[in-house]
Amino acid sequence: MIGEGIRKGLRILPIVDKEVRQLLRDPKTILMVLLMPITVTILFGYGYGGKGAGEFPITVVDLDGRDGSFKFIQELKNSRMFRIKAIYKSKGEGFASVYSGKVYASLVIPKSFTEDLILGRPTRVELYYDASNPNTAQLVMQAVGVVTQKYQEWAAEKFGTFAIRPMFYTVYGPHVSKVENFTPTLMALILQMVPTSLISVSICRERERGTFEQFIMTPVTVIDVIFGKLAAYFIATISDAVLSLFTAMLLFDIKLRGSFLNMFIVSTVFLINSLSMGLLISVFSRNQLQAYQASVFIFIPAMLFSGMLIPVDILSREAQIIAALIPMYYFMTAFRNVALKGWDLWMVTDQLVKMNIFTAVFLLLSMRFLRMEVT
Amino acid sequence: MTIASETVSLEFKETLAIEAKGLTKKFGNFIAVDHIDLEIKTGENFGLLGPNGAGKTTTIRMITGVIKPTEGIVRVFGIDVMRHRKRVLRLIGYMPQRFSLYEDLTVEENLRLYGRLQGLSGNLLEERISNSLDRFYLREFRSRLAGKLSGGTKQRLALAVALVHNPKLLILDEPTAGVDPPLRRMFWEHFRELNKEGKTILVTTHYMDEAENCDRLALMNRGKIIAMGTPKEIKRKAMGGDLIELSVDGEIVPENLPGVISVHEISDERIVLVVDDASLRLPDIVKAVESSGGKVRMAAPVHVSLEEAFIKFMGE
Repeated sequence: MIGEGIRKGLRILPIVDKEVRQLLRDPKTILMVLLMPITVTILFGYGYGGKGAGEFPITVVDLDGRDGSFKFIQELKNSRMFRIKAIYKSKGEGFASVYSGKVYASLVIPKSFTEDLILGRPTRVELYYDASNPNTAQLVMQAVGVVTQKYQEWAAEKFGTFAIRPMFYTVYGPHVSKVENFTPTLMALILQMVPTSLISVSICRERERGTFEQFIMTPVTVIDVIFGKLAAYFIATISDAVLSLFTAMLLFDIKLRGSFLNMFIVSTVFLINSLSMGLLISVFSRNQLQAYQASVFIFIPAMLFSGMLIPVDILSREAQIIAALIPMYYFMTAFRNVALKGWDLWMVTDQLVKMNIFTAVFLLLSMRFLRMEVT
Repeated sequence: MTIASETVSLEFKETLAIEAKGLTKKFGNFIAVDHIDLEIKTGENFGLLGPNGAGKTTTIRMITGVIKPTEGIVRVFGIDVMRHRKRVLRLIGYMPQRFSLYEDLTVEENLRLYGRLQGLSGNLLEERISNSLDRFYLREFRSRLAGKLSGGTKQRLALAVALVHNPKLLILDEPTAGVDPPLRRMFWEHFRELNKEGKTILVTTHYMDEAENCDRLALMNRGKIIAMGTPKEIKRKAMGGDLIELSVDGEIVPENLPGVISVHEISDERIVLVVDDASLRLPDIVKAVESSGGKVRMAAPVHVSLEEAFIKFMGE
């Protein structure tokens, strides 16, 4: 009878299959999905990370000027963690270079450095760092610690037991960032722009081209359409999360402290959120142009209130309420903590849950308002 | 008692493939379809005729359920389209006016997608795809993108997709629009064949010559059905009867001839009469003219085209 070979129930798989084929055949999609994350990451890298990939720009104030200090400066260079912009003879010049924001820190080698070494007396180096940028400061202090340690081992062998203590002093300079501080912004940008704008035209394009009329003559349900498209576009755009992370890590040697898996999971949660938002736009848009405009328009408040430009904590109370309604805000917070501070996933549960709530709301609204009719 | 009468009414309804009552669609102030009633019997090849903007497509879209009527009801094989659309979809194969398949999928991918969406799988699916490729001469194009096909091949693919789930009712909206004449003929041969297989067909067209192939027709204009019946009935209705052309030497009074309803046209050379039945009355008329002393030079039934009939209806 008719029943033979005819299945009831969901029809998500054929839809996923169809959408993926279509996406792969559209050169514009491929370009957007593959090139956008790489291009944007490279642009960001050069634009904001111009102070040298992976090396901290610092200045050195050499008050000693003898073999011991030369050797120390050589060690700093050999570590490949610093780029020495200048070597000064006075502390004033050293401070100025930090105040003005030219460098992250200035390292002062005291006057009796070589003499102390030779006589086996304890001595020190002084690091004046820019505290307005705590993440970087942390890294610079660590790097100086490493170099000093190494130097001390060498000196101990040569001149006998003694100690070199690194001393840290705070200087507040203008906010200078390295590219890794922009990684959350970069990821947010890519993971919202590409998926949202791609999927936002998916339903209205079918209406515009007339394919929707034939499509809805089959027993597909709104669940099939929404989840079929979501799954297909997820498959197509998941590469964005991986690509931009890899580009950033490989090309700029960005030192992200978080585990790759954690960063990937946070990114994926946000990616699905962006796709759901795009679907909702698609359900409400009459044509492709409208959909594109909407997905760009929605990006403006996201940019302003997600902490991308200004930290949300310093915004007004009203602005903070708006921020609470923007999924990107939660992503920025979660990703920053996971990637830069190396937090574990459970520490950003709050943000992950909130993002997923938004996703669920977007999907439910999409299903509620998707009309299986032609207009 | 009540059970018995229910059964009777159900049986009666089952013979109807499509039943529409008071079907109306308004777009704002514009009434696209205005309270039409339609009954299409199972196995019929039914044509919906009318000029552009008459409301044919809107009517068809309400029957398929892709738009909701403002008023009225539609049943397909007795099932309410509004309330049980999913059940109806298995029974309908639909070919929209505009090519509505995925141009970035190949011929075979389109067939497979629609087969799967209709719930086919496994051997049955492969069998149907293969049959469709052969039946509609699509095998050589199977791996070509639908967007790269010629107009006629696109239409054949659209027909193949409409039939992939073996529906009982085939609804075709201007299937031959923009198709060259030999292919148009081939299409109608397909339709006749499908009709013979027992499929009910509802087809819209504005080619009047094609409409002659239909068992019954409905003429639509400005959202209303202005005439319905077999092509023959429609022509008779339009003219008020059959037409007979007469060329006579000598004086006659046309109105007095047997079976004459009215005089359609009169000139020195010829007279065109409207009679109740041409084949029955023609010999009588010849006899009557000759018995009154006239000489019949020529007497023949006049073929009325649907186009003429249609224009006549439109004029009223």
